Amino acid sequence: MKGKMEQSQRQRLIEEGKNLKEGLIALEEDLLKLNDKLQLEAQRIPNMTHPNVPIGGEDSSMTRKLVGSAPEFSFPVKDHLELGKELCLFDFDTAAEVSGSKFYYLKNDAVLLEMALVNWTLSEVMKRGFTPLTTPELVRSSVVEKCGFQPRGNNTQVYSIEDSDQCLIGTAEIPVGGLHMDSILAETLLPLKYVAFSHCFRTEAGAAGSATRGLYRVHQFSKVEMFIFCRPEESEHYHEELIKIEEDMFSSLGLHFKTLDMASEDLGAPAYRKFDVEAWMPGLERFGEISSASNCTDYQSRRLGIRYRPSEAPVASPKSSKGNLAPPLFVHTLNATACAVPRMIICLLENYQQEDGSILIPEPLRPFMGGRSVISRKL
Amino acid sequence: MKMSCLKGTTISFSCLKLAFPSYPSSFQNLPFRRTIKPLSAALQTSPATSPSTTKAEDQVARSHWKAAIDFKWIKDNKEAVAANIRNRNSDADLELVLQLYDHFFNLQKEVERVRGERNAVANKMKGKMEQSQRQRLIEEGKNLKEGLIALEEDLLKLNDKLQLEAQRIPNMTHPNVPIGGEDSSMTRKLVGSAPEFSFPVKDHLELGKELCLFDFDTAAEVSGSKFYYLKNDAVLLEMALVNWTLSEVMKRGFTPLTTPELVRSSVVEKCGFQPRGNNTQVYSIEDSDQCLIGTAEIPVGGLHMDSILAETLLPLKYVAFSHCFRTEAGAAGSATRGLYRVHQFSKVEMFIFCRPEESEHYHEELIKIEEDMFSSLGLHFKTLDMASEDLGAPAYRKFDVEAWMPGLERFGEISSASNCTDYQSRRLGIRYRPSEAPVASPKSSKGNLAPPLFVHTLNATACAVPRMIICLLENYQQEDGSILIPEPLRPFMGGRSVISRKL
Repeated sequence: MKGKMEQSQRQRLIEEGKNLKEGLIALEEDLLKLNDKLQLEAQRIPNMTHPNVPIGGEDSSMTRKLVGSAPEFSFPVKDHLELGKELCLFDFDTAAEVSGSKFYYLKNDAVLLEMALVNWTLSEVMKRGFTPLTTPELVRSSVVEKCGFQPRGNNTQVYSIEDSDQCLIGTAEIPVGGLHMDSILAETLLPLKYVAFSHCFRTEAGAAGSATRGLYRVHQFSKVEMFIFCRPEESEHYHEELIKIEEDMFSSLGLHFKTLDMASEDLGAPAYRKFDVEAWMPGLERFGEISSASNCTDYQSRRLGIRYRPSEAPVASPKSSKGNLAPPLFVHTLNATACAVPRMIICLLENYQQEDGSILIPEPLRPFMGGRSVISRKL
Repeated sequence: MKMSCLKGTTISFSCLKLAFPSYPSSFQNLPFRRTIKPLSAALQTSPATSPSTTKAEDQVARSHWKAAIDFKWIKDNKEAVAANIRNRNSDADLELVLQLYDHFFNLQKEVERVRGERNAVANKMKGKMEQSQRQRLIEEGKNLKEGLIALEEDLLKLNDKLQLEAQRIPNMTHPNVPIGGEDSSMTRKLVGSAPEFSFPVKDHLELGKELCLFDFDTAAEVSGSKFYYLKNDAVLLEMALVNWTLSEVMKRGFTPLTTPELVRSSVVEKCGFQPRGNNTQVYSIEDSDQCLIGTAEIPVGGLHMDSILAETLLPLKYVAFSHCFRTEAGAAGSATRGLYRVHQFSKVEMFIFCRPEESEHYHEELIKIEEDMFSSLGLHFKTLDMASEDLGAPAYRKFDVEAWMPGLERFGEISSASNCTDYQSRRLGIRYRPSEAPVASPKSSKGNLAPPLFVHTLNATACAVPRMIICLLENYQQEDGSILIPEPLRPFMGGRSVISRKL
């Protein structure tokens, strides 16, 4: 329409332009809706799976490692609830009145034990080069979704806040993942390794049964979590590093445990590969999960928008042309439980119980409990 | 109309009118008033509910808990209560409460009277009589019963209304508390002096930025404003503060606790907070009656709710570590930047349950513990006896500690110690059984058991972590931007004495 032309021709062109414009608006709207629908469906596709992961359900999980052996007791073994009752360590009944079932107060030496576990774990992981963090425990629900959780589903594990788009976190993985959302990191910064202490809140909707008594399945607990952002080619290496840190820590506490390579049906959408550690719990007379280490490759980073800029190849003048900038790539993310306090308390109480009902404190924790070596009945 | 059949009974509108003297206009909306008309309908049918009241009101009324308020005492001391309400700038309506109480008292008597009449009729029916006489008695009994049901329902609703209004009456006030607003608060104690700096003083945000201690910006994206991540040495500082505080307070005989951070909203209310008000400080959980706690005072108070404790157990002293969540609705301004006002923080809280005659003693004990701890950290601070308008409904007396914050160039509140006397215990239902006087056989008769009395409760902040971090960073900053760690915290930071820039 920029050229010269007769009035009638111009008029025709104006109409043609108008029709095209309206058609375009409608098409663009269709495109938006279609993209939304596409995203909704595509986001349900789980991460790919490591070739070594066993295919199948929980019975197919493979034991990678077995450490220690079940302690032998010359007296009847008590479970953590009974031990805790005698030593005045917990209160579940009043918590049920004040808050609801699966809530609890820790009392007396259990408080010291929680503090010791958290302090010791933080210091052990920091020694290995992880940056300590504490995180918000309320986050926007969109961040929860980007990490691969479902805040609004039926049987959701997530508590939502009334009149708000915020939720309570079920794990520090979420706010730590969010720490670098919508960012392009310099490659030289990687790997970024964080160890985060937070409280965690889970509805445990749909969970029932006797194995969920006491501290085994609760709505609120303290957890120390490890999180790594790294280059794609390094994620398998760091997955091995994370599981090794966990195994070292649990060994030094003298626990008997096995590390499992979780089968394909038990991975959870974000994980490419997942190692769970199950520790022997004499009172429950079985192994119980105390930690989980997942390699999420680029599943979370593609949703959280976390990329890195590979270092440029050396050239005479690095800033000479845009063409020399390598395009940003998605990082890989990994997360691993360093210490889930209630499960650890179960392990320590049940494994280290003495005949007189007192509990031996494992060596590494003693400096963090004022040098004490025993939890015993208050006189 | 059935009224004509109620010959011989006095249940009639004229009697009901006695229970309803002339009221101020605020009464026009009371649910029970609307039941007067349908009462006649009630006499004909037998509804359990009056159709004209709203369902929501019924539900709210029925599910609400009851505080053990001493109405007789309020009535006998109404001038003092009224003066107290004025001094505290409270919006409680004492006149309304007294009227509702009288009304309730009379209606209760009426209910008892009608019950008596119904029983009399029932007894009469046991004898021999003619068929027509029996028929009349049956009808009379039926009318009385229906009338009674309606009256009892009125009584319930009236009690709910009475409770609602009475619960708004604030606690009484210690005679030494200054009357007035925040300018009237009195300084009880002044410790230390403001440090002098030979270099320009930075605030905690700037110090934290240089030392990579916090992240507010990303937290605003992930969670919203007034959220933050602590990083690096700030994490160690938080852990050190909590560990040290717990150990200091435990040395003084307090039992350590960690608590649920989700509690039922009724427990929040019983402690004197308002989960559902406008500008509420309380986060509520969707599709649930649960809320996030703003302070461990709430779950610790709840620890002994609906209990009668043996006197020998008292005092019960707890020190509780928890995370706290506050909406900070209505709070704004520059003084709320950074860590000064945040939605989530760690806090160590002291709580005492004791006998009434001891609460003032323990209030002094709590403030002394706080002052000792803040002194040993080398802080410059003042302790204030808060004025009547700043007390908050539950507190009989409140001491606040404000510490000098060089970066803010003013004093900022770092703790608060309240004596709530029996305000919370009357709502939480916490009583104790005074030890019995020695008798030959203590269990010989029930008459020897002393009636249970309400405990007194006190609460005090041992350490509110973000405010303490501000104090430590700003007061102990060095010229090179590093922070000196006060002596008591060093063992809890692996022996380190300085927080400095990472190389």
